Amino acid sequence: MTITTSPLSLTINGREVGPIDVPDTLMMVDFLHEYLNLTGSRFGCGIGVCHACTVLLDGPDGAEEIRTCITGAHYFNGKRIRTIEGLAERDGQQKVIAITPIQQAYLDHYSFQCGYCTPGFVIGATALMERLKAHPVRADQLEETITEHLGRHICRCTGYVRYFEAAKAVILATPGLVKEN
Amino acid sequence: MTRSSSRRRGAIAILIVLVLIVAAIAAALLGNRDAPPDRPPQKVEATPEQLQLGRYLARAADCAACHQTADGPAYAGGFPLKTPFGTLYGTNITPDPDHGIGRWTADEFYRALTRGKAPHGRNLYPAMPYTAYHDMPRADADLIYAYLMNIRPSAQPNRKPDIPFPFNQRILMSGWNLLFFDRSPLPAASQGESPQWVRGRYLTNVLGHCGECHTPRGSLGQVQRDAWLQGYVLGRFEAPALTPQALAERGWTQEDLQRFMRTGLAPQGIAADEMYPVIVHSTQYLSDDDLKAMSVFLLGDQPPKTVPVPSAKPESGPPSAGRRVYLNTCAACHGIEGEGHPPGMPPLADNSTVRLASPRNLLLSILDGLPAQRLPNGTGIGEMPGFAHRLNDEEIAQLANYIRTAWGGRDGQVAAADVAKLREAK
Repeated sequence: MTITTSPLSLTINGREVGPIDVPDTLMMVDFLHEYLNLTGSRFGCGIGVCHACTVLLDGPDGAEEIRTCITGAHYFNGKRIRTIEGLAERDGQQKVIAITPIQQAYLDHYSFQCGYCTPGFVIGATALMERLKAHPVRADQLEETITEHLGRHICRCTGYVRYFEAAKAVILATPGLVKEN
Repeated sequence: MTRSSSRRRGAIAILIVLVLIVAAIAAALLGNRDAPPDRPPQKVEATPEQLQLGRYLARAADCAACHQTADGPAYAGGFPLKTPFGTLYGTNITPDPDHGIGRWTADEFYRALTRGKAPHGRNLYPAMPYTAYHDMPRADADLIYAYLMNIRPSAQPNRKPDIPFPFNQRILMSGWNLLFFDRSPLPAASQGESPQWVRGRYLTNVLGHCGECHTPRGSLGQVQRDAWLQGYVLGRFEAPALTPQALAERGWTQEDLQRFMRTGLAPQGIAADEMYPVIVHSTQYLSDDDLKAMSVFLLGDQPPKTVPVPSAKPESGPPSAGRRVYLNTCAACHGIEGEGHPPGMPPLADNSTVRLASPRNLLLSILDGLPAQRLPNGTGIGEMPGFAHRLNDEEIAQLANYIRTAWGGRDGQVAAADVAKLREAK
């Protein structure tokens, strides 16, 4: 079987990429790793369960998490995404000058050990915070919301509690994400 | 005889008839009340062998399907059965004296099973498959009774059916029974006379009550005997046709049917939706001989040759719209050529659901997704995400047409409107 390719163009972290000829059967995580050297999104289970490979897909209704290990690269043709590499603030030389509050909170809470799942947890919490900005929840529903949202991410070092605590702390410290009871 | 005395006699006769009618209605309503029989709890002695046989038969009859919930105590009831007439809840059939069947006699149990009459002559709704169980020998009913009367009692109260008037009047079921409760043996869709076929008929038609889901129903819920096992949409998914021809056209052999009923997994696909609990509660426990008998009954003593999927011309050049959707959203798990990654991700090539004449189940799997499931043989099936929010009707129609044409031997005949209809029906 010959491998066919098609041109792919998309916007990644605010930068326009392509058109690049990409195999029609290539998964997005492989495209990020092999074509763009964006290796921060992790390939974990490869079957869409662990969520280590998630990126943010920016649509008209805001950002949604999408798993790149089970989604073909060409699905993203013409779309806008943000990867783990695109969240921190960078200077003109692309040097990171400030990480995001959720990234800082994961460090402060010692949320991870091996760190393989961390990019996914950062993406997950970022998507959650952006959603809460548009649709705040009541404070007494926050823990449930975090568990529901981040609970899809698997951490084999079982750091869940510290991830969830860090997310809760950042969300409570950020004005407008939580309503009064 | 004077005219006035004959008039008086006429009036008395009418009065007597009226009183009788009122008494009959009162008796029927009274009999249809939900109260345990007025007698002490029954003690049923049984040998370990009898209890084992009773448990085997209770499993073969899949009592657990309706008489327990996923996380509730065994046989304590509570499972919601959605019907076009309202929702019924499986009852508690543990030996609890007040909420279960602890005060029932073996006679009453047999009547409930085979005639649809609970103690006091109370009518059961035909969601209880007495229309199938009616051919059960008394000895088998007694073994199930003995087993149930010796399991752990649960004081879980029964839940009243959520059925609006007039169907909440159980007395109506007497009329339904008069019209539709046919006590002649249930039909067969296959030909056979071997002892295996005869045993399979009992296991499939009577105990397994497979026809309850796999046979079309009329407007009052009656099973259409002249369309036996020809497939029906009772819930959201279609229970596919199980006639020998239909099974052969989807590639089923006796061996694969047996494997499917044992493990929920076969080269033709996985047990999903309401078939999954059937495997888990019932068929996985049946003996090899009995599973063989069921497959013989389904396919007949002379099973038809399986029909291979006509090979579609492979695409050359850039992918078609449908294949593009497939590669982007499905191929990671189901394989670039539909080969799947068994056992967790079933192949779509030669898949029984893909080969069905109706695209309904394929479209629903794409729209709703399927939950992760543990299978009896220690393996499991990964969660299939739903794509209702990610793909529009046109894309799903293109995808379904591609899958059906490439791997199901079906023409692309799915329209975006078909997808929209199923999307809205949720």
